[in-house]
Amino acid sequence: MIENKMRLGFYQQMVRIRTYEEAIRRDYHADKAPAWDIGAGLIPGEMHLSAGQEPVAVGLCKNLRNSDAITAPHRPHHMALAKGVDMKAMTAEIFGRTTGLGKGKGGHMHLFDPSQHFSCSGIIAEGMPVAVGQAFAFKRRGTDNVAVAVAGEGAANQGAFHEALNLAALWKLPVIFVIEDNDWAISVPRDHSTSIPNNATRAAAYGIPGERIEGNEVEAIYEACKTAVDRARSGGGPSLLEIHTVRLWGHFEGDAQAYRGDELAKAEAHDPIPAYEAKLVADGVLDQASIAATKAEASAEVEAAIAFAKNSPEPSPNDVYLHVFA
Amino acid sequence: MSETISFPVMSKDENAEGVLATWFVKTGERVKAHQVIAEVMVDKVSLDVETPIDGIVTLLVEEESSTRQGTPIARID
Amino acid sequence: MSATISETEAGTRRLTTAKAISEAIAQEMRANPEVFVMGEDVGPYGGIFGSTGGLFDEFGASRIIDTPISETGFIGAGIGAAVEGMRPIVELMFADFFGVCMDQIYNHMAKIHYESGGNVKVPLVLMMAAGGGYSDGAQHSQCLWGTFAHLPGLKVVAPSNPYDAKGLMISAIREDNPVLFIFHKGVMGLPWMAKNPRSIGPVPEEAYTVPIGKAAVAHKGSDVTVVSVSLSVQHCLDVAEALEGKTSVEVVDLRTIAPLDRDAILTSVRKTGRLVIVDEDYRSFGLSGEVVATITDTDPRLLKAPVQRVAYPDVPVPYARVLEYAALPTREKIEAAIKAVMKG
Repeated sequence: MIENKMRLGFYQQMVRIRTYEEAIRRDYHADKAPAWDIGAGLIPGEMHLSAGQEPVAVGLCKNLRNSDAITAPHRPHHMALAKGVDMKAMTAEIFGRTTGLGKGKGGHMHLFDPSQHFSCSGIIAEGMPVAVGQAFAFKRRGTDNVAVAVAGEGAANQGAFHEALNLAALWKLPVIFVIEDNDWAISVPRDHSTSIPNNATRAAAYGIPGERIEGNEVEAIYEACKTAVDRARSGGGPSLLEIHTVRLWGHFEGDAQAYRGDELAKAEAHDPIPAYEAKLVADGVLDQASIAATKAEASAEVEAAIAFAKNSPEPSPNDVYLHVFA
Repeated sequence: MSETISFPVMSKDENAEGVLATWFVKTGERVKAHQVIAEVMVDKVSLDVETPIDGIVTLLVEEESSTRQGTPIARID
Repeated sequence: MSATISETEAGTRRLTTAKAISEAIAQEMRANPEVFVMGEDVGPYGGIFGSTGGLFDEFGASRIIDTPISETGFIGAGIGAAVEGMRPIVELMFADFFGVCMDQIYNHMAKIHYESGGNVKVPLVLMMAAGGGYSDGAQHSQCLWGTFAHLPGLKVVAPSNPYDAKGLMISAIREDNPVLFIFHKGVMGLPWMAKNPRSIGPVPEEAYTVPIGKAAVAHKGSDVTVVSVSLSVQHCLDVAEALEGKTSVEVVDLRTIAPLDRDAILTSVRKTGRLVIVDEDYRSFGLSGEVVATITDTDPRLLKAPVQRVAYPDVPVPYARVLEYAALPTREKIEAAIKAVMKG
């Protein structure tokens, strides 16, 4: 049984993330009109938002400490925020400012927060071996810290996934592999890419526990992650979790998603946040006032972070030469 | 006191030929006990050869020459 | 009986380049428990080309780690350990194998420091064997330092002799940035491969460093500058010594490919006005062109004659010995290039 206080916390954190993604989406598109130019505007470049996948980040990260590590993929915002990455510094990085996590050098797909041992990479599955290495360092030093490698279901077909699982299993490292199955690898559904219906069964090929979690429900995700994290912390080695979630928006902002057809409307009907909200209301954990308060608080924090970013200085051109080497 | 260093026996086949692959010292040099003076090889397995004592070394076989195991390869005086 | 080995200072013992590398690693591992080695056959085997000889016996399986054939996996793991503050030495068995793991090398190892605005360091050494001349064919004989040096965020070193090998390895381990340490198989002094006597040489017993990014004048001269790196330096020295009395050849051993010591190249060419580059890596779009650009970017009038490049032709490495040696930058070709630039 999960306490109501924790359940409320789950809801608040998911609302916080969704509010953030909606605000980023708004500002990302705002200045690319009328003719859409991906390189234009205050947030240039690609943008991969995580609406619908909040339960995975929140359920997972409730089990993690600041000193545990996560490597996340090109869709990192929900993981970063749930992990505890500072929202202002993260937003400034997305806006390319000197006050950003990477001083404007990395951008939205390359967010690094060493205080949270958080990193992400735009190359599919390549963060998985790095998480294995972080787990190696934790085990070598005798701490009970864990590393988590997050990737999408499409990543489970990349060589790095397989090498990372084998290595982690062979050396019995404290790493958890979390596959976010949002059904789509850009425009390719999983039954067009993956030889088996359930990546959790691949765990057996490497001799580690694997579990697939359906329902995109934060509490079930929390429990499943807890088991895997506890296993790793106590020296029980790695696990593979495949968590079925939903990608409510496009692969990237600007993705027309024609390939989704009817499925898109069906997906939108499965937004996890209204569903959880309804459950908490029914259980007396939330009421209209606390819902409004949660949204207002989230909005205030998000808009403050965006204002901080917009008011932060842009790097000077000569900064391009800095930080190639330590 | 003089000591002769022989090509080590590394293979069960007494007649196996090895090679003195590399000399690390020259005739007339002063060497210290346990200093590695040569690298030898038999059947692709290589081994360092040390001098057991201090002294002046005299090389008895050519580098890269084929040598039977047990053959004297150096003298330490 | 005499062995054809190089002169030594009184009391300095000689090592092969392979043993010098192993000794460097051993000394740094004794000094710092965060240093460890990972790679294929680095354990009891001692590394396919002898880079980790003796280390397993001293440090054991927990610090000299044999890996599965998973370059992406274990190089990525090295990166993860490095970002957490360890100092891994990872061996890529052959430089030619970079194809299966290049993403970790050039998109992660090389870029994490920059992408994080300097907040995350990757103090990792990636060592690898390179080079040909013994009929190992197209996929096992390449040098490739030009390819790696072309990509920002990596330091790339390649010693030509045992003294530099030990010093550069110690520098690489202590360096807070990713360093690719490329050892040509032909400089290792292996007992099972034909070797130039310059692959055995005096190496001080104590730990010492050779600076990354600094070339060395291996042979002083005044008529022509010969810039080279790795095994080719040994061939250049053989030619320079043979030509003593006829042509005064200055041999510049780059020691580091990236960052390139452009000052050393310019200083020598200002003196001689004639430049020969000897590079076993592919000729086009690589190191030798970059050396030429170093001069022409500054002042092409420094040159009294066109530059001679003795570099590997733009062909895959052939297997048959006669074909391979038709391509390699041999002493004959180096001497011919020197003659040509002197006529120039």
